[in-house]
Parts: sequence; structure tokens; C-alpha cells
Amino acid sequence: MSHPVSISVSDLSIRFPVYGVDAKSLKKHLARVTVGGRLGSSMAGATEVRALSKLNLELRAGDRLGLIGHNGSGKTTLLRALSGAYEPDEGMIDIHGHIAALLDLGLGIDPSATGYDNIRLRGRIAGLSAKEIELKMDEIAEFTGLGPFLAMPVKTYSAGMQARLAFAAATAVEADVLLMDEWIAVGDADIQKLAHKRLLNLVERAGILVLASHDLDLLRLYCNKVMRLEGGVASPVTDIRKLAELMAA
Amino acid sequence: MDTATHMLRTGRRGPLFEVNMALRDVRASLQRIGLAWSLAKHDIVSRYRGSIIGPFWITLSMGLMVAGIGLLNARLFQVSLHDFIPFVAMGIVFFGVISGIVNEGCDTFVQAAGMLSQTSLPMFTFVWRTVFRNAINLAHNLVIIVAVLIYFGYWRTMNLPVAALGLVFLFVNAAWAGMLAAIASARFRDIPQIVISVMQFAMFMTPVFWLPARLGANHAFLLFNPFFHMLDAVRAPLMGQEVAPHTYSFLALMAVVGWALTFAVFTRTRRRIVHYL
Repeated sequence: MSHPVSISVSDLSIRFPVYGVDAKSLKKHLARVTVGGRLGSSMAGATEVRALSKLNLELRAGDRLGLIGHNGSGKTTLLRALSGAYEPDEGMIDIHGHIAALLDLGLGIDPSATGYDNIRLRGRIAGLSAKEIELKMDEIAEFTGLGPFLAMPVKTYSAGMQARLAFAAATAVEADVLLMDEWIAVGDADIQKLAHKRLLNLVERAGILVLASHDLDLLRLYCNKVMRLEGGVASPVTDIRKLAELMAA
Repeated sequence: MDTATHMLRTGRRGPLFEVNMALRDVRASLQRIGLAWSLAKHDIVSRYRGSIIGPFWITLSMGLMVAGIGLLNARLFQVSLHDFIPFVAMGIVFFGVISGIVNEGCDTFVQAAGMLSQTSLPMFTFVWRTVFRNAINLAHNLVIIVAVLIYFGYWRTMNLPVAALGLVFLFVNAAWAGMLAAIASARFRDIPQIVISVMQFAMFMTPVFWLPARLGANHAFLLFNPFFHMLDAVRAPLMGQEVAPHTYSFLALMAVVGWALTFAVFTRTRRRIVHYL
């Protein structure tokens, strides 16, 4: 069944059990069980943090949503939920389209393997078959701009080169939904341009971008919509031109 | 733009729904079984990267161990090398598969924390990865088994299907134990230490280094030792002995009960595992 690219989130709540050192120790857990009851609140197992509550979000093809909010306001939690890693405690997430999450560029990067091997591994994680990767290899290799360095172990790369490799490999899959936690902060002007190009490509193909950032100028540059998160509660999605008002609110 | 990929995630909708979601995880992992294989292969390759004989260190160190323990114990217990070396070789190799899957199982989710917290990859993919990694290890060690069996004149091609059946029983049972260890270790950081101790203890309590006949055939140590049954189902046919019917019923029952328990635990914890990490 084919369906246009869309993200639909309704009444999404995610509670985060925080398993402290205490809760992770089997001794404490067993002591609690054998003593036969809770010994006060400090022993009562995991504390829960409400990371997101009753969040609603509708995005259509061509939407580029910026997420703003303080540290711990739930931006990353929302991105992880959209990537499918976190299960909702309540509510629903419904996404049509191939999702590429660039939350941590280091994902699946093995420093002692060569650039080529890392592209293969990253591609496999992203859902490509071994054959598809070989077909795309030249294109990805060219895109990284790393040339002969691709045959060398990644640990010999500079931070910028690693970011190039990771970005190229992670976006090699034709993604419809791109999730990014902060813009790629490392690398020179070249990689920024590279990332810019890939992103425009995505936008042209009418995909969806969700970008969390503290950089308002960046959000103005890439996004056409914005949502503010505050302690897990989301503002309505508004036009990017009203960013200043949203921040003042 | 049209697309066929669809992801739907919802909150809890009753126990039946949770069972369905857990089953869906298993199904999804089987559909992408190639990924688990690639990850396992990558693990082996990266473990031995830069070494000259690479993964054949597995074979070499196992060969040394078999030769050493075989020669020493055969003398200590005063049994003939002809009987004892093949016995001990298979004991060490196949017990290594079981303890490998269970011990490394403790790391399964912890090691994959990065991937689990930002992709929708099925949890079971990582369990299969651990199982496959140990299967690759076993493949390297089979060289020793084949060599020993041929050298001591035990090789009978017609014994292979029965041994293969035993190997299936071994993997099916080790896999659930590995999965259970994976979930428990993610939640409680004491579990890996406990598992390692238990597996070590089990190795000495199980006829790996010593002949079961010395204990008397129907000793409780053997009858109720799951590791003995797993080993014997593979080892006995290759030694030209018959596998006791009791062994098969024990293993089958253990597989059913074990997987039911593991699946129940997985159904309950599936949503939480990523938060444990």
C-alpha cells in the first residue's frame, strides 16, 4: 500500500522510568521483595519522569519542523519516539515514509574498521541489503569526498572526516523523514555545504524534516514550522515567521 | 511522493495487544535476519582485525585446549586417549557454544544501546546476532571436531543427521537462555556476574572434562542437568552412541517451557528495555 509521507502524533505521552544505581542493584530489589513491601519512597523502585505529555503533531510532505526548548524539555525524547525507539506510554505515533534518524552520528561506526566497511555496516542498519549497498557504494563514496581515505580505518580520521562519513552513510538511504538532533556541528564549511545540499534534496523530494536545535537562525534557515517544548508540553505548531513571538511567550 | 513504509506505535492496549507486538518484533527480526548475520560477521571480523591468522585463533586456541586437557585428564582418569580425546574435544566445543550464547547474551542489549535508542530495529535482531556470532565461532571449531573424529576413527557420515538434530536442540535452548540473560542483565547489573559464575559452575558439574559413566549412568547429576542433555544430544551420536529418549523429551520440554517464559518476560518488558540501558 502506498501512502503519501506523513507524521501523525496524537496524545503522545512518554514516561521515563529512571533506574538509578539503587534500582539497578539486584540486592536492593530482592531485599524489597523479601522484606515484603516497600520500605518508604526511597526504596520504591524507579522514579518516573514525565518526558512528554499529551503531545499532538500533524506533519505533511514538505513540512520542515523546528523543535526548540530548553535542555530536558523533551526534544530528544520526541525525536527518539519518532524514530521508533521509544514506545509511547499513551497515545499514538503513525508515520508513513522511510525514517532516517541522525540523532547520533556515531551510530554503528566502528573506529577500527575502514570507511568502506562502516558505510556497509551503517547501510545494513538503515535497512539496505548488501547488494543495494554495493550498487550505491560509488555514489556514497563520492559524496563523502574522502577518496582514498575510505580504505583506511575510521580511527585515523579527523572529527570532521568522521562526520562526513557518518552523514553520507546515514543519509544514503532515500529517506522520506529525516530526524536531526542539533545540526552537524563539526566539520568545515564543506561538510556544512554537503549537509545543506542533501537536505535541500530531501525537501525537493517533498520529505519531512524534524530538526531540534537551540540555534534560532538555523531554524529560520531550514524550517518552515516551529514547535516549542517546555517540560514535555508542546506548543501548537506555528509558522516559522512567528518564531520571535513564540520565544517571547 | 509515495511510499510503502509505515510505522505505527501506540500505548498499551491490553495484554493481547502486547503479545501481538512482541510477536511482531520476532517476525520483523526474522524478516531482516540478514542484518543480524551481518552484525555477527562484523563482530567476528573486528575482534580479529589486524591479526595474521584472524578468526583461526579460535581454532588454534581451542585445539591447544583440547590437546592439553585431553592428554592430562585421560591420564588422570586412566582412560584411553582413543575414547577420551574425541569426548573432551566435543565437550569443550559444544559447551563453549552454550556458555558463549548465555554469557554474551548478558551483553546483547547493553552493547546495542546506541542502536536501540534511536532506531526501530527489532530487539530480537540483537539476540540472533549473539547466536550467529557463536555459530560462526562453532564453525571454526568444527575443524577440530572433524579432525579428531576422523583421526580416532569415529567418523560415520550416517551419524550426522542425528547430531544435527541435537545441535538444533542445543541452539534452541541456548537462545532462550541468552535472551533471558539479555533482558535481565539490562535491568540488573548484577546478573552478568551471576550468569558467569553459574556457567562456570555448570561446566565443572557437567561431563565436559570427565566421563559420565564414572558417576553411574542414571545419577541425578546427569538426569536433571540441562547442560548434560544439550551436550549429549550432539556428542553421543558423533561418538556412535545412542541418545537416551529421556534426553530428547527433556530438551523438548525445556525448549517449550523456556521459550514460553522468555516470551512472557519479553512481552512484559519490551517497552521498557530501551529505558533500562
